[in-house]
Amino acid sequence: MMLASTSRIACPRHGLLIARSLHSSTSVLNTNISKGTSSATEPPATEAKSTVPSEILPPHPIIPADQISGAPVELRHRVVRIFQPAQNTMQSGPAKGSRWRIDWDVLQGAGRWENPLMGWASSGDYMQGTRIGFRSKEDAIHFAEKQGIFLVISGWDYYVQQEPVKRIPPKNYAENYVYKPNKLRIARTK
Amino acid sequence: MLRIAAGRAAARSSSRPIVNGRTIPGVCSSCSANRSARRNFSSSSSRQADITLTVDGKEVTVPQGTALIQACEAAGATIPRFCYHDRLAIAGNCRMCLVEVERSPKPVASCAMPAMPGSKVFTNTPLVHEAREGVMEFLLANHPLDCPICDQGGECDLQDQSMRYGSDRTRFHEITGKRAVENKDLGPLVKTVMTRCIQCTRCIRFANEVAGVEELGSTGRGNDLQIGMYVEKTMDSELSGNVVDLCPVGALTSKPYAFHARPWELKNTESVDVLDAVGSNIRVDSRGLQVMRIQPRVNDDVNEEWISDKTRYAHDGLRFQRLTTPLIREGDRFVPANWEEALTAIADGLKASGAQDNEIQAVAGHLADTESLVALKDLVNRLGSDNLILDQQLGDKAPVNGIDIRSNYLFNSTIPGVEHADVILLVGTNPRHEAAVMNSRIRKSWMHTPLEVGLIGEQVDTAYGYSYLGPDARALADVVAGKGDFGAKFKAAKKPLVIVGSAVTEHADGAGVLKAVAKLVQGHKAMLTPEWNGFSVLQRVASRPAAYDIGWTPSKAASQTTPKFIYLLNADEVDPKSIPQNAFVVYQGHHGDVGAQLADVCLPGAAYTEKSTTWINTEGRSQLGRTAVPPPGASREDWKIIRALSEVVGQPLPYDEVLALRDRMWEISPSLVRYDVTEPVTSDIALAGLKTLSSRTAGVAISGAPLKKPISNFYMTDPISRASVTMAQCTRAFVKGENYGFSEEEKTGQASYA
Repeated sequence: MMLASTSRIACPRHGLLIARSLHSSTSVLNTNISKGTSSATEPPATEAKSTVPSEILPPHPIIPADQISGAPVELRHRVVRIFQPAQNTMQSGPAKGSRWRIDWDVLQGAGRWENPLMGWASSGDYMQGTRIGFRSKEDAIHFAEKQGIFLVISGWDYYVQQEPVKRIPPKNYAENYVYKPNKLRIARTK
Repeated sequence: MLRIAAGRAAARSSSRPIVNGRTIPGVCSSCSANRSARRNFSSSSSRQADITLTVDGKEVTVPQGTALIQACEAAGATIPRFCYHDRLAIAGNCRMCLVEVERSPKPVASCAMPAMPGSKVFTNTPLVHEAREGVMEFLLANHPLDCPICDQGGECDLQDQSMRYGSDRTRFHEITGKRAVENKDLGPLVKTVMTRCIQCTRCIRFANEVAGVEELGSTGRGNDLQIGMYVEKTMDSELSGNVVDLCPVGALTSKPYAFHARPWELKNTESVDVLDAVGSNIRVDSRGLQVMRIQPRVNDDVNEEWISDKTRYAHDGLRFQRLTTPLIREGDRFVPANWEEALTAIADGLKASGAQDNEIQAVAGHLADTESLVALKDLVNRLGSDNLILDQQLGDKAPVNGIDIRSNYLFNSTIPGVEHADVILLVGTNPRHEAAVMNSRIRKSWMHTPLEVGLIGEQVDTAYGYSYLGPDARALADVVAGKGDFGAKFKAAKKPLVIVGSAVTEHADGAGVLKAVAKLVQGHKAMLTPEWNGFSVLQRVASRPAAYDIGWTPSKAASQTTPKFIYLLNADEVDPKSIPQNAFVVYQGHHGDVGAQLADVCLPGAAYTEKSTTWINTEGRSQLGRTAVPPPGASREDWKIIRALSEVVGQPLPYDEVLALRDRMWEISPSLVRYDVTEPVTSDIALAGLKTLSSRTAGVAISGAPLKKPISNFYMTDPISRASVTMAQCTRAFVKGENYGFSEEEKTGQASYA
């Protein structure tokens, strides 16, 4: 099912689930400022720093990448998930552990199906194999937010998944040999 | 938690609420974060002064008593290791973590060495390199060169570290060849190739400490050291699959997954487990359209790093007995239909059955997701009915504990909170089978602290010692009165915890038991404090907390009505006799199990790996699962089926997309869409909840019927695990105790797997 983004903007409570940077301001700005003037003031650059007068912009300056990215329109209607991929529990190496990732939810129906000819997986979803890596959560959020049309569509809808909760207490070899006053509760067979 | 000089601010901020962008309001997460960050049991030796040392020229501050390897990690130096594991006791036998310490004559095993103040440690010097290379050479001297046919290939620590730290050529020219070790049979889950074992003893330590299998151990010394069960015995633990993860080489690999896939072929999807109510964080690894395996994700608030064997291995049940197309009963058989026909048939059936108001009944099964529960409740309510019942014994009546206040049916102490309790009373529950991962926390606490556990109900093997108090509600009365040894201990406890099983509400004496529990909690000063809520209900079914949260309960009038139209949503535990002869029955679910047999129309839904839906775990923690693979055939996401049906029966639901549905959930209870946090109930409200509980159960007499454990076979509790071949094998091996596996399978060559 396609998600209609307009209704989502209209509803004030969506902020709970799906954050939008221009959330509250979108509809207001949409009516007051014509698209022409906005794109005239807006340099079509992709740098992070903006030169647009600050009174037009929300506090977090975002340069819309959508105008020049050539991404298909349908992409704006899909939710992306921003998350830090879990470390593989099979391995102890910490490499790539701090990366963040954007990927797309599987499209119901168009996600994958078994190709009748070969039995392989076919897909009608051109984003199913795509994922984007980022150095930090903020980078990923910024990327998602800038995928919009300036002051019209405020980037991709995203859901930020909680980063892994990890609490490792200080460990001590001597704990193996600590005297326990009562009945022993473990028989070590190492 | 490690704290380092540079990262101290970061460490402190991590105990603050983690606000995901602007998606989750931080208000309530702050309380939960405070609760969970209170104290870990292992740091229970009072926090000592921090010490500062230098690692590779970088100053780092860690708490005293920290292992050197942790200090090095905190300084950002990667130390290779095989035997050291963050969640197991330190063994110090692989020697891979050797580092150089100033003024120490030899390299030092950093895992077994406490970090010393002012010491200068080097992890990247020629001495260290040489030491690692030497260790690697010894390890590989007896390790077979069978990586191409080894299941660990691609995620093998030995492979990785020999590439990174090992020598590029061998000096091994022994004419006698390498050591060979006989394989052991640990049951249908863990495949052993013991020749590959490097004797890191992680599996032994896991079995000893976490799983409570004290039979797994080592025999022999030096070159003859072997890992095994001493006698021919399987590894009978519901957590045994975790040794596959822990094994740094391919000695212990997954038997059901053997030779099925390589890690680089798999697509990883981070999701949530639903086969019990713990809500373990999992990673679903899929290839093409199939789930190939399920791995744990680290989340210290829920499952640490472990998952139960059912969580890990029941996924092959997703391939069998699936409903792939809508089915309509004609006489005594089902005829495949398309969606339109099926939905029309339901609308016609609803009309023909003549069901009015409360005669329309909806049954919430074990694997129903929150979205579809909300949609179905809305639909049934719109049709004028309040007849919303649960798929359990006494599910057709409003639950005795009452669902008006959340703390009456949730695990209020939270799962990490279990470790802080000093006396635990289990009432009518076997946490080992109802929440296997949570049970390992009780064991951990029991081993490291003077924790006392008491059990009322059926006697079971819990993997830790307990005082058995009696089988029924009368035993509870003794504890309330403070009688007996345990009663006295409970009275004196500073953080007492009562864990009431979900089966208690299904029991004839449930009201009496809960009455006594309420009395126990109210009569104990330490039970309900602003920091501690010692009254916890352990749910065992993934959908139950959500069902209670949305108010899925029949009104008094409804529970006395005989239904004419029954909608089974994933309900597969229903008693066929409870369904009236002339009722029109719809089953929506993903497996052709008990519920589907009873149905007039079957609607194929999606299983938990095939939909992104909300699940509420027993603590009330809301978590969002994720689609890993598409649902098979014509099956659809569950809430969409209900939405489509609502259109056909002429009561269209007002949400067309899942986000609008989640808005509706927010309207019902904001906590349903505040993901990844628990929202504790304040002690005042919890007390109010207990008061209502007391008043509801005021005049109840106790029959004295013994409390029964609800799960007799851990490996088969739901349609997915009942359809699973692996779980059937586990049932044979572990439940029926058949001598599984010393078997033909082992006699055939390995190539026969491929």
